[in-house]
Amino acid sequence: MSAAASLAPPPHVLAETRALYRALSGTGAAPQTILHGIDLQIARAEFLALTGASGSGKSTLLYLLGALDRPTSGEVWLDGVEMSSLDDDDRAAFRNERLGFVFQFHFLLPEFNVLENVSLPMLRRGVPRSEADDRAYESLGLLGLEDLWRRKPGQLSGGQQQRVSIARAVANDPALILADEPTGNLDSRNAELVFDVFAHLAHDQGRTVVMVTHDREFAIRADRQVALRDGRVLGEGRRGEDILPSSRRLLPSDPP
Amino acid sequence: MALPAAAPSARDRVSARSSGVGERRVPFADLRTIVFIAVRQLWERKLLNGIAVGGVVLGVLVLIAMNGIMQGFSMKFTQAILKISPHVIILDTELRPQPSILARYEQGLVATQVAHEVPSDRQARIKRPYEIVHALHELPDVKAAAPSLSGMALIEFAGKTKSIDLRGIDVDKQEKVTPLSQFVTAGSIATLGVANDGIMVGSGVAADLGLHVGDVVHAAAPGGRPLDLKVVAIFEAEIPPVDKVRAYALLRNAQTLLGRPDIISRIEVLLWDQDRGVPASDRIERAFGYDAEPWQETNANFLAIFAMQGMIANFVVAAILLVGGFGILSIQIMIVLQKQRDIAILRSVGLRRSDILRIFLLQGVVIALVGGVLGDLLGKLALGQLAKIRVHMEGLVKSDTFLIHEDPRFYLYGLAFALVVGVFASLLPAIRGSRVEPVDVLRGQIG
Ligand SMILES: Nc1ncnc2c1ncn2[C@@H]1O[C@H](COP(=O)(O)OP(=O)(O)OP(=O)(O)O)[C@@H](O)[C@H]1O
Ligand SMILES: [Mg+2]
Repeated sequence: MSAAASLAPPPHVLAETRALYRALSGTGAAPQTILHGIDLQIARAEFLALTGASGSGKSTLLYLLGALDRPTSGEVWLDGVEMSSLDDDDRAAFRNERLGFVFQFHFLLPEFNVLENVSLPMLRRGVPRSEADDRAYESLGLLGLEDLWRRKPGQLSGGQQQRVSIARAVANDPALILADEPTGNLDSRNAELVFDVFAHLAHDQGRTVVMVTHDREFAIRADRQVALRDGRVLGEGRRGEDILPSSRRLLPSDPP
Repeated sequence: MALPAAAPSARDRVSARSSGVGERRVPFADLRTIVFIAVRQLWERKLLNGIAVGGVVLGVLVLIAMNGIMQGFSMKFTQAILKISPHVIILDTELRPQPSILARYEQGLVATQVAHEVPSDRQARIKRPYEIVHALHELPDVKAAAPSLSGMALIEFAGKTKSIDLRGIDVDKQEKVTPLSQFVTAGSIATLGVANDGIMVGSGVAADLGLHVGDVVHAAAPGGRPLDLKVVAIFEAEIPPVDKVRAYALLRNAQTLLGRPDIISRIEVLLWDQDRGVPASDRIERAFGYDAEPWQETNANFLAIFAMQGMIANFVVAAILLVGGFGILSIQIMIVLQKQRDIAILRSVGLRRSDILRIFLLQGVVIALVGGVLGDLLGKLALGQLAKIRVHMEGLVKSDTFLIHEDPRFYLYGLAFALVVGVFASLLPAIRGSRVEPVDVLRGQIG
């Protein structure tokens, strides 16, 4: 299973997983396989919704797609590069240049104001301060937050913080945005707004978005839905297709 | 919500920009980011980090103050002692006693020891002293040399008697080796050279006997001939052990008084470089066969005490800096543990392990540097204040104030030690922080 032996995915595919396995050994417990051979292709400028019950492995898959974690076996291709061929520093650089993360619990740095939080990833890779600030401000504007740029995260509501972390992911100008339940902690109005931003990023700006969500309404409105169950791909659906009822039908109500 | 109009070719835009093409980059981005983060996080925890800084300040302050006082004292002592005593003393102890006359002429004879030699032969003395003095001047280390005779004598004045350490000197030669004239507080040393029966006594001797210039004392020593000597000068070297017992007279008078006519018991030598006392003494011993004692050996007791004091003081300083280091360590460990989330964020947006490591190391260094600089400044202030404190000191050295020596090197040492402590103390927390796995934090295992 050496990376050299496998062929890179075709250019229109931005991300691809091949036979992806991930086992985790919790404290004291025997290793437990979380992902069982995930094969997934994500096209450029695609807006993909990742659904599944709690514990089905969505976050685990997202971390692998984001080069934050390493698979037990299998391959992750991002933008023509197989991730296991990169060392820790290169993967950090890759995240910095190509990826944007939005975590479920709005992760912002409390010591830095909103603008600084958003521009920090750009500063790390050498974008001049003024340019980074301009882009950060622009990106805050996209989320309706430009008036709050001076505030510290502690002075923002949860929904505002979540939007700031989206602005951070976007400002970095990533090829791939990975969002883990970005609407999970928001009220319906804010959730709607955040969803619209992702849709806009994918459809109007040509970015690729993978969004984990529990919200069926949102999942249906994505370009494509992928449902996981117990670490396996349970089924896929197109936009507008409601795959959750059918997948429920496919499965016995009690786990085997 | 107003969203900007779609770019005409969105895909092209993403692939062009996200691969960094056309994006301006500045050099040392990693360093700039690290400094930015490290300084901001320090600043946002002013109280905690202030405590850490305080520990370092205290250590550096004590380092500077302690060393300033001790160096001041020992340097003052060394300086004072070297003004009144020579760099090297040649004593009348022969290192290779000459074989007895019999053995010298009759080699192989059974008797090589003579039980009772004539007294004059047995008396300790430096033979042919003026030749030695002359030869000494040829040695490269030697600046000046003066022969003298020393012995104990009693002087009596107005019914009071005092035992003194009498030195019989050649005033001009002695002046070149130990410039006594600068210590003269009353009378003049020149008079000692011209008057036939002059004596110059230490201030302590004068005080004990109530002597003034012009008084005549009666001096005597066992085996010698008593003399009446006139006080022509009083000196004060500010070294109580010397001022209290010493007196100077002409060599000729001392020889008469001590009953050792024509005898020289010591040659005092001044070197060009006081630090070459030991090698110069070795050289002199080899050349002339008499015991030569460098000032370091003469004052070995004191120097050993100073060295010991210095060691103890530096142990104290080391202990304080160590405590300061533990302060940094515990605060940094706490911050690293608290900051797991932040580390995970930073790592996920693309900072490297080494960036995290350097952020925490830099914080330790900044704490240490701030502490070091503040410690230096406070140390300088403290030395200034200490120098003003009035104390009455009359033991080894006489002084009215704390003797402070401000050696600029100690400011550097203070900074350097602070820095070492800072780096070492933050190494462990920094390594710990750099090992944080972002996914562990994101999964909620930690933090
Ligand atoms: N450190 C760990 N060691 C062992 N098992 C773990 C560990 N972390 C998570 N798991 C397990 O891995 C499985 C997948 O977790 P994951 O977080 O990917 O699920 P998820 O689909 O994101 O769930 P949710 O919707 O609740 O966020 C779960 O069954 C979980 O119990
Ligand atoms: Mg999850």
